[in-house]
Amino acid sequence: MFKPRPKQQEVLAYRRGFMGVAAVPGSGKTATLSYLTAMLLAETELEEGQEILIVTLVNSAVSNFARQVNEYVKSDGLLPGYGYRVRTLHSLANDIVRGKPSAAGLDDQFSIVDERESNEILAEAVDAWARRHPEAADAYLAPKYIDNAHYRSQKWVEILSETARSFIRQAKDELLTPADLGGKLADYRGELTLAESCVDIYKDYESALAYRGAVDFQDLIRLALKVLREEPDYLAALQRKWVYILEDEAQDSSRLQEDILRLLAGDGGNWARVGDPNQAIFETFTTADPKYLRAFIADEQVDGRELPNSGRSMRSIQRLANHLIDWSLAHPHAKIRERGPLSPPHIQPTPAGDPQPNPPDDPDAVVLFGEAYSATKEAMVVTESCKRWLAANPEATAAILVARNSRGSEIVKFLRQKAVPYVENLNSSSSTRAVVGALARVLAYLADPKSAGKLAEVYRVWRRDERDDPAAAAAIKTVLSALKRVKHVEDLVAPRLIDWLDEAIAGEEGGTHFETLEAFRARVGSWLRAAEMPIDQLILTIAGELFRDVGEIATSHMVALHLSRLADAHPLMRLPEFAAELYDIAGNKRRFSGLGDDEGQFDPDARKGVVTVTTLHKAKGLEWDRVYLISVNNYDFPSAEPNDSFIGEKWFIRDDLNLSAEALAQLTALDDGSAYREGFASLDARIDYAAERLRLLYVGITRARKALTITWNTGRGTATEATPLIALRTFWEGEREKEALHEAPG
Amino acid sequence: MKGRPKLSEGRAISLSAAQDEVVGEPVRRRIWLEGMAGSGKTSVGVRRVLRLIEGGVPAESILIMVPQRSLAQPYIRALRGWTEHRGGQVSVHTIGSLSLQMVETFWFLIAEAAGFQHPRQLPNFIGLELVQYFMARVIEPLVDEREYFNSVRIDRQRLYSQIIDNMNKAAMVGFPISEIGARLKAALAGGVEQAHIFDDAQTCALAFRRYCLSHNLLDFSLQLEVFRDQVWPTAQAQDYLRGRYKHVIADNVEEDNPVTHRFLRELLESSLSALIIFDRDAGFRRFLGADPAEARRLQDQCDSCVTFNKSFVMSENVASLGGHLAAQLGAPAAHEIDGDPRPALKAEAHRYHPQMVDWVTREVQRLVNEDDVPPAEIVILAPFLSDALRFGLAEGLAGRGIPLRSHRPSRALRDEPAARTLLTLARIAHPHWDMPPTNFDVVCALMTAIQDLDLVRAKLLTEMLYRKGRLSPFAEIRSAAMQERITYDLGERYDRLAAWLNRYIDGAPVDAIDIFFRRLYGGLLARAGFGFHADVDAGNTAQNLVDSARNFRWSLDFMSRYDEKLDLGSDYVKMVDRGVIANFYLRDWIADAETGVLIAPAYTFLLNNRAVDYQFWLNIGSEGWARRLYQPLTHPYVLSRGWEAGAVWTDEDERELNRGTLRRLMLALTRRCRKAIYLGHSELSESGYEGRGLLLETLQSLLRRLAREGQDV
Repeated sequence: MFKPRPKQQEVLAYRRGFMGVAAVPGSGKTATLSYLTAMLLAETELEEGQEILIVTLVNSAVSNFARQVNEYVKSDGLLPGYGYRVRTLHSLANDIVRGKPSAAGLDDQFSIVDERESNEILAEAVDAWARRHPEAADAYLAPKYIDNAHYRSQKWVEILSETARSFIRQAKDELLTPADLGGKLADYRGELTLAESCVDIYKDYESALAYRGAVDFQDLIRLALKVLREEPDYLAALQRKWVYILEDEAQDSSRLQEDILRLLAGDGGNWARVGDPNQAIFETFTTADPKYLRAFIADEQVDGRELPNSGRSMRSIQRLANHLIDWSLAHPHAKIRERGPLSPPHIQPTPAGDPQPNPPDDPDAVVLFGEAYSATKEAMVVTESCKRWLAANPEATAAILVARNSRGSEIVKFLRQKAVPYVENLNSSSSTRAVVGALARVLAYLADPKSAGKLAEVYRVWRRDERDDPAAAAAIKTVLSALKRVKHVEDLVAPRLIDWLDEAIAGEEGGTHFETLEAFRARVGSWLRAAEMPIDQLILTIAGELFRDVGEIATSHMVALHLSRLADAHPLMRLPEFAAELYDIAGNKRRFSGLGDDEGQFDPDARKGVVTVTTLHKAKGLEWDRVYLISVNNYDFPSAEPNDSFIGEKWFIRDDLNLSAEALAQLTALDDGSAYREGFASLDARIDYAAERLRLLYVGITRARKALTITWNTGRGTATEATPLIALRTFWEGEREKEALHEAPG
Repeated sequence: MKGRPKLSEGRAISLSAAQDEVVGEPVRRRIWLEGMAGSGKTSVGVRRVLRLIEGGVPAESILIMVPQRSLAQPYIRALRGWTEHRGGQVSVHTIGSLSLQMVETFWFLIAEAAGFQHPRQLPNFIGLELVQYFMARVIEPLVDEREYFNSVRIDRQRLYSQIIDNMNKAAMVGFPISEIGARLKAALAGGVEQAHIFDDAQTCALAFRRYCLSHNLLDFSLQLEVFRDQVWPTAQAQDYLRGRYKHVIADNVEEDNPVTHRFLRELLESSLSALIIFDRDAGFRRFLGADPAEARRLQDQCDSCVTFNKSFVMSENVASLGGHLAAQLGAPAAHEIDGDPRPALKAEAHRYHPQMVDWVTREVQRLVNEDDVPPAEIVILAPFLSDALRFGLAEGLAGRGIPLRSHRPSRALRDEPAARTLLTLARIAHPHWDMPPTNFDVVCALMTAIQDLDLVRAKLLTEMLYRKGRLSPFAEIRSAAMQERITYDLGERYDRLAAWLNRYIDGAPVDAIDIFFRRLYGGLLARAGFGFHADVDAGNTAQNLVDSARNFRWSLDFMSRYDEKLDLGSDYVKMVDRGVIANFYLRDWIADAETGVLIAPAYTFLLNNRAVDYQFWLNIGSEGWARRLYQPLTHPYVLSRGWEAGAVWTDEDERELNRGTLRRLMLALTRRCRKAIYLGHSELSESGYEGRGLLLETLQSLLRRLAREGQDV
């Protein structure tokens, strides 16, 4: 049972109005919020149809949250889930829009295009636009590349797609339609070349969506807000319905999310937001910004509270993280300082007697390397260290945190070479790919049902949940090898004269697995009969038997919708083509993602004795006994200094322009009629990026419980140690010296 | 005297004293009979018809009006074959069939005044499938080239069907189609910027109407309008109808539309007798124009009013459950809430959808095997019945040896495997279309067409024998071992199919695609050893396809006189491929062998109008139980007669509507249930979403209330 500490009790005392809670890493904010939900449920006399609305960031958090609340609530109703609903922003927007689709100009059966389809539609629009305007590249390519055909055709189109994507996303966030922007362009005094092209592309993109009867993720949120603003009766009904709004991970809230929730809460409503502004690391990919939560907590009308105690890390790691906050408050770069990348509260240890005491302090376990390693040398050093440590601590958990996927893949190669047990948590859609891969294997078999090899693959998929159990894994292996040798598959899956199972038993092949194989045969038989169903229904049928996890089921549904749309667009596609399409997605040749984020929860504690290689973004919310934070150089963690390079600035674009940033600045100019001056936005983007990267570093440090090692490398030879790392190292060396002096005899 | 036993069958049901009293009323009486479902009203209607005939009333002077053909079944069964010496035949009509007959009869009298450009040529009545086909021809250019509907996200087939809905509503309610746009716009509350889509919808409706008038085409809306405004007002039609139909039985008038009500009101003025039957708390076909309030005005034309309040169906517990649910949804206190609802409600919550499906099949098996409940006394209902849900249930029940049947009207023809099989075989049989099927379609077609053929062997056969667009003989498999793998009995069936198709290809050309389907189905696929044998659903689909293709052929033959460039067979296949919604086919609604567990959408079950012992309600979290389909281009309530012109449709209206809809549905379902209702709930729907519809909310509140009142369910 949850035993709240004093600061948590202050949050649990909430009963009405607006409350904002600034939490620190490991302070138990989700547990506190779910316990608060349970308390409010117990104490509130809900009227019929009323609920507590909980909004969180990703789908995996939704099910965790629901599970925790269910544990706390003693249900006197018959059916679970009474009185509350947990939603991500996307699924909440979906609820709102589906409640009144016509107000958003949607048909009841509207569909939502996934990221991949949205990108494809956009790519088509950009391609067509670029062909119509072959001269457009001249304005932005660096002189060296102006006459290079490859850069003119391919690279230019790529960066234009990226730019248009940012522009359209922001335009949708600002609720600006292509027609609005077209009007503003006509009235604007001055030249906005990028905006002009992006508006054209935006228009084509929207027409393509309309033709499909579809919306994209941004539309969903934009339309939800539109419906709430334009339909006061509907808004009032939802305000009555959701008596409390509790928001977790509020630091990653975008302005639209805040606007939606503010409307839903209404004047005098009940809205509690919990988050850690220091862990806001999704600004670059979305329009989220921690400033919204900070401003909310600072508001006079809001009851501001803190959850500063954390039992996760040992004291030395907390001191290091706290120093990063202090250093950033006095950041040497004035503009970054003004952004306030990190802010108090500082992390405090848990009070005495707390059920989650901090691990015993061991300052020696915090190691910050100042040495300039090459990328290879850094990987070797970390791999060796990791190998030694895991051997000595087989019951502990460890992680290597990287800023980019590509660096993670490099590290994996070294781990493999040195036979260090590892698990990857790199690509943002690994569980999505696993689901798609499983479905692809079943479809591939159904498309070629006489193939023993493909049938064996289906068997592997069918028993995928057991593969981590060594005994089951051995049994699976035996059956797989027997299945691969089945000469006539029909004798197993649809026996008439000969039953392979009988033969196999006689021949001792798979004999001990008779019952499992019989069950498998029944399942496959059923799928064979289902093979002629419409593809979406076939996918749902297969998924219903294969998956139990919410994220997996939701992803399957997205797969079903995706294939169904493909089938509409390409009437000649059949199972073989659908299977190929899924293999492309599973093989990461095509991007695909579920509604919002379908990632299942990664559980580090289930990976003892194994090192996890993960990106910092994916590490959020997770913790390990020992953490290696690597590549902390001025490439991955720049500080807007002259030598720093920025991902958004491409070498083939003139004057270090960040085209996405410039396009957004043009959008702002267009919207409010202000003047646009080229280059300023690119410089500003450097500041924003540096600020977010500081928070990313903070997130990395606070993942460690008992041991932390930070290293950096010279990249392609020119990278230098990241400025914040120098600051941390200087601080830590000073601290150690002070301690040494203190401890020195005499 | 084959008819006699049917009559006695109609008589076999013993009536209560109250029912007998109505049947026995003097012939020259106009009676209004209302009551709840299951109170024996239709039995009175049937017996009254028989009594009229036996009392010497000529059968041909009797008109039975129903809103949907399936609802006439009790009358048709009772009268079947019973025609001798009774003065002709009783007419059984819907407003659709009656108006068609009348427009056809009086065509040359009214065609010119009705605005048809070829009044001296015959009319061409077209069903829903052809309406979609022609509408696509008229509207596609407007959408593609002139950016109609550019601010709404909707797929084409649904776009067409909503424009069709608008036109039908106008005809059924009785306002000109030129008012559609203005009515819809006036009711728009928020999102005013969307108003222009209603102008687009208006323009499209008028464009389609012009096309129909210039091609002598009559869709349902035009047919009804012509009947209403041109035929019925003529002296000749009045003489004919009033002269013929002296006795009127109108059942389920609450499900009919205002134009029918007006027609009935006027016809009653000259009728000698009438029995008007009204089902209280019903009116489920609102999306098809049903208007219970208008129906009630027919009461003024009647000499006496009778009300039946006693259910012959529900146990006390079920009645109590229905009453509690209705009360929870704000019904007046009049509903029966005495008694204990607990024994009538069995519920089990699951996390995942497949677990719920599993539970349902286990419970059905328990009822059938342990409690000896006949499978036909069980229905499994959901607001929507997806292929995956149907398949899951069918597999589960079939695996337990329990017979089942399903009923899903209003689907696209191409969604039925039997139809797809026939279309694939048609493509093989007509190489000159140059539309060869894909190999995988051939695999599936073989699997469906040949009984017991599995996908693996179908694949082997296709790979070895489907060459250059033809199916080669089985003997062309050289290896005996391979022939044995297929097995000789399957090989023999395959041979019969291949030979049939090859004979057809090599024979004299047959242009009529419907005849091809009929021959293939009747001559081969319906026979023993083939896939459609003893499969009622597949048989119905095949016959629907034959009808559909025949109508298509007739219409296009007809159109050819207007110089339209149309290709019969391949155009038909293309039309079905596009996913047109099927016509209403009566055979889908008539269960000849009511032997299995019925799986159906809830409203489809209601319109079958029968009661069962046990009902399973699945996906109770779904919004679909209470909510109408939101269609951006149409609105069943704003386009209804009762809607005040210029009034705005508000959210409060919507909420009230949802509650009212669910309340009526709960009453209607419980009144068709004798013993108990099983609630199937999974926290996560088939698609992985958490449903929080009004039915779930209502049940939660009811359960909580009962628990608090000490009746812990």
